[in-house]
Amino acid sequence: VISLVAIADASGPAPDGPVSSVVAGDLCAFWVPADEEPVTVAKLEDREDLLETLMEERDLLPVQFGASVQDEQSAERILVDRHDEFTAALDRVRGAVELALRVRAVGETQAVQANGRDYLAARQRSSDAAQRLHERLETMARTAVIRSGADLFRASYLVDKDAVPAFAAEVARAQDTCPELLLLCTGPWPPFSFAGEAPTS
Amino acid sequence: MTRPGDRDIALVEVVDRLLGGGVVIAGDITLSVADVDLVYVGLRALISSVASAEEHHALPRMGDALAKEPR
Repeated sequence: VISLVAIADASGPAPDGPVSSVVAGDLCAFWVPADEEPVTVAKLEDREDLLETLMEERDLLPVQFGASVQDEQSAERILVDRHDEFTAALDRVRGAVELALRVRAVGETQAVQANGRDYLAARQRSSDAAQRLHERLETMARTAVIRSGADLFRASYLVDKDAVPAFAAEVARAQDTCPELLLLCTGPWPPFSFAGEAPTS
Repeated sequence: MTRPGDRDIALVEVVDRLLGGGVVIAGDITLSVADVDLVYVGLRALISSVASAEEHHALPRMGDALAKEPR
């Protein structure tokens, strides 16, 4: 049993290190031996390290952690059966990386304790500021997806590699002008949020 | 430079992305229910460590640099 790591163009450089690849036509899949032991955070970090090493030299589609198939032949069949989907997704992410943004409101707890109405008003202002920031960042990205979660606002952006510094600078400017928001920008990540069906947002 | 809290945030993102993103392969998912529980216990612990860092004002503002550790 093998665990699939990523899908990429077969024309890319051969990987070295603890990963194997199987080719079908113009696509290849990177894989590692499947691991039946319990998942730990360390194993997730190792997988992320592996993906980031691979993405240094090629465009790729990360595969959801835990996806395993019987053998290389099964992986080949997947590459053949889903060829058009994978090549379209690779075209979408080529030359780009994923950046993530989480926005939290600063000092919410104190505001709640002070006055419920003030809290709601402050939260609305923060939410509006986050939305305006998102609209600016979206223009710097190829595409974006808004994600749900406990944060005030959360989104992922697919950004051209050479536009990453400008994107980070825009987040920095926003942080300077919006002290009521806590902006948590991470990346560059493999394009986890853009590897599947074309996002609709 | 890695500041206190950076690593926790990066970990939350890693866990979230690896399990919730990427190409979905219709086939065997090797995570058993017990294993998923284990992972999500870990995730909750990570999230609470982020919240705790924030409470102590240790959480950095990451406008000036992307938060993930350089590799």
